[in-house]
Amino acid sequence: MSSNHNHGIHHATYQSIDEEVAPGLHKQLHRQHVRGTLYVWALLTVGGILAGLYLTPILMPHMNSPEGRAAIETVKVFTVAAAPVAALVCAVAIYSLINSRHRSHLDSPPVDGPPLRGNALASGTWLVVSTLLVVFLLFWGLTEWASQQVVHADALQVNVTGQQWLWTYSYPAQTVILPGAKTLTVPKAVDATTLNLPINVPVQFNVTSKDVTHGFWPTQLGIQGDANPGVNDVLRTTPDHLGKFQVRCSQICGLYHAYMYTQASVIPDSAFTAWIAQGDAGRVLTSAKITGGVR
Amino acid sequence: MTTTQERRLEDTVLGSAAGRFYRHQNFGTGLLGGVGLGFLLWLLGEYTVNNNPNYGTDMVVTLTMLGWVIGFNLGVGTFNAVLHWILGHDQTKEDELYAAGVGQGKSRYWKYCTDHKVVGTQYLILVFVLFFIGGTLAMMIRTQLLTPNSSFLSPQTYNAIVSIHGMTMIIATIIMVSGPFANFIMPIMIGAKDMAFPRLNAMSIWVIVSAVPPLMATFFVGGVNAGWTTYAPLSVQDGPAMVCFAFTIITFVVSVTVAGINTLITVLTMRAPGMTFSRMPVFVWASVIGGALGLYAMPAFLLDMTMMVSDHATGTSFFVSAQGGSGWLWENVFWIMGHPEVYVILIPPVGALMEVLSTFSRKPMFAYKMIIGAMIGIAGLSIMVWAHHMFTTGWAPDLAGPFMLTTELISIPTGIIFLCAIGTMWRGSNWVRLPMYFGFLFIWNFIVGGVTGIYLSDVPADDYFHGNMFVTAHFHYTLLGGAMIAATAGLCYWFPKVTGRMLDEKTGRAAFWLIAIGFQVTYLAQFYEGFKGMPRRVANYDPIFAPENVVSSIGAYVLMAGWIVLLYALVSSWRSGSIAPANPWSAKSLEWQTLTPVPLENFLEDVTVVNDPYGYGERAELQVHAVFGSTSDAHHGEGH
Repeated sequence: MSSNHNHGIHHATYQSIDEEVAPGLHKQLHRQHVRGTLYVWALLTVGGILAGLYLTPILMPHMNSPEGRAAIETVKVFTVAAAPVAALVCAVAIYSLINSRHRSHLDSPPVDGPPLRGNALASGTWLVVSTLLVVFLLFWGLTEWASQQVVHADALQVNVTGQQWLWTYSYPAQTVILPGAKTLTVPKAVDATTLNLPINVPVQFNVTSKDVTHGFWPTQLGIQGDANPGVNDVLRTTPDHLGKFQVRCSQICGLYHAYMYTQASVIPDSAFTAWIAQGDAGRVLTSAKITGGVR
Repeated sequence: MTTTQERRLEDTVLGSAAGRFYRHQNFGTGLLGGVGLGFLLWLLGEYTVNNNPNYGTDMVVTLTMLGWVIGFNLGVGTFNAVLHWILGHDQTKEDELYAAGVGQGKSRYWKYCTDHKVVGTQYLILVFVLFFIGGTLAMMIRTQLLTPNSSFLSPQTYNAIVSIHGMTMIIATIIMVSGPFANFIMPIMIGAKDMAFPRLNAMSIWVIVSAVPPLMATFFVGGVNAGWTTYAPLSVQDGPAMVCFAFTIITFVVSVTVAGINTLITVLTMRAPGMTFSRMPVFVWASVIGGALGLYAMPAFLLDMTMMVSDHATGTSFFVSAQGGSGWLWENVFWIMGHPEVYVILIPPVGALMEVLSTFSRKPMFAYKMIIGAMIGIAGLSIMVWAHHMFTTGWAPDLAGPFMLTTELISIPTGIIFLCAIGTMWRGSNWVRLPMYFGFLFIWNFIVGGVTGIYLSDVPADDYFHGNMFVTAHFHYTLLGGAMIAATAGLCYWFPKVTGRMLDEKTGRAAFWLIAIGFQVTYLAQFYEGFKGMPRRVANYDPIFAPENVVSSIGAYVLMAGWIVLLYALVSSWRSGSIAPANPWSAKSLEWQTLTPVPLENFLEDVTVVNDPYGYGERAELQVHAVFGSTSDAHHGEGH
């Protein structure tokens, strides 16, 4: 059976040193390992949860719509949900590093580890917990997704057209009936290169492109959709906080993709009506002007 | 085999048919053949189709690329055996041994060589070259982004660099483990004498080598504008660079397909007696699953790119919506390839990593069957998740829920890989050598990559993060921090077997710290850019993103410095490191039980496998992975 090619020296088996020579030591050692790992795990979990709760709002910008805040909430909740699992993996890795006695020796350790080939309880728990987490993530995501699919009876129509490397926002003539019998009127179609939205008015973007695919991303509204040539992509939101932000192109669209951004603002009704009343003279730049400015 | 016998064999092999032209073929004649035939077909194109006002240039470039790829492979000798047979000759035993590199010393690394160990080494060198190119391009990107309104690169050059950085790295990471280690190590691990199809194996490396120059040629014919994903119709709008790009992919797919079939058949048919499926090392499983998944994914890539060439060179309109085509068609077929492909990249390195964890924790693989089930589960699910790349495209909004489901389900088998990793490390006799350093780094990076992935799987959150730097940071954490770091662990682990030298661990550790820290700085800063709302693939950006971009660029320089130090350690150890013993890690799998350097046909004696290779800490009889019979005719087998 033996062979001169088998260079591996057979190490003393774990049992011979541990279980057989010193009965009881095995369990005690095991308990000590579990306790050590649990301390590290608890520390990391708390850290992860706190980071999720308190760091996320600092990292992400202030959002101007429920969809935007949903993105922040999702990051928060998912971080908290993932923290215990991620912390466990890190805890075991860190603990085994701390506990390692043969860290950088050039020779292999004199004793092998215990031959644990699986543990039904550990594997089962892991599977159940990860499945439950996935069910939760899915439930969370689908609920939020569904709440964003609500179509308001009446919404301000804004036609968004992407072209290399410019966004145009067209407000067709329309009267939007708002809750409380208020109305908002766009008396005459207006084209603009900045996006202005009245606060608390449901808005429907009809997004398309004149040439290649662009990505319409009004950053702080938490919605995003591609502008595809020949396609009308509908996006809905209701901006509910005043503020300024940018619309950025999120899909590489050629030479001046980086410059394809415009200012956007959520403004009071009255300001919006006044802005619309100015008409579109001088608002629409040509593509040539834009790129000319860049060069 | 004695040296006299060896020399006599070499004399016979080198003497027979000496002077025939095909004994002089190598990389150089390949270049001559490629440039020659490419030039001929370019001339042909210039005088025939070039006057076509719409597609002339693209047609000429198509012909030139075709000439290059076929000419290079004719020149290097890829088709020699086939041409022999077509001409009615058969390969003699001497021809076959010559093709296997007998008696040719180091020059065989520059030739079409059927020895799987030579092919593996050739792949390793190609991977170094590709990573060096891709890394250099990355440095140029980060230099451009150092300041908000940088004019280091023109927008056109910048886009070209972003696209080619992406594709170079994708190609490099797909082959970084399945090339070097599934070729060099995997057949030895299963006790085989070679791969099942040594000629296809040799073909796969030279075909992929011929795919690289067209990719670099894109820079000289206008550059690819559309990122590595080359979304249509922008990519149809692009110039002839897109034709070169598509040729790279088409050629690459041929190589990956041939290599994948070879891996599969090798494992199915060439295992040593006793090497049952349940005793196979996890790395072998990972190679098979990665290879099989590649066979599913890559044809879609071939199809997409062939249609792209057609749109460019013949005026079809598969992807031009104004003429009845659809950009969504491109996106769908692309991601039907693209998502399985990230697991084609990931699974083999994870397999390599599990070998490292078991060996250096001195423990058996924890839940062996679960990890194999998990890899199969990942492969199966990965073909059903592609449209999560398309949540914001407007295509099939009703499928947002189902694709959210499949995407999030993948975290269950991925979680099992973590379970098996920490189960294997749990209470191990941790031996923290260089491969294990990278093992720890993998675990951290892949955790970060995994958790950030669940944000992106959620449609409402993806509506914010899609197309921004968060995505860039996420996939670099999984593919560079995860897959490539795991592959580096595998490289440091198998280095002594592949090169016969020990890796300079001191320099290696210095490189490790630069890589580990540089990586975190680079990509944590990019996560922050993404949180704040900076779009991807932009040559310039709003000054509000300036501080984190400076941090990210500095991190990237440190990261690159780390890789260069590691490359230095690898090259200097390869040239003059201390001679490696056959089994420096006291590991149990078969590649460590044979001599270093590994002899032709791998084992001097017959191998019989009696246990799995993970008997650490077990009873003595379970520690034995294989026994070696010293039957005298073991090395006089039939060869290939």
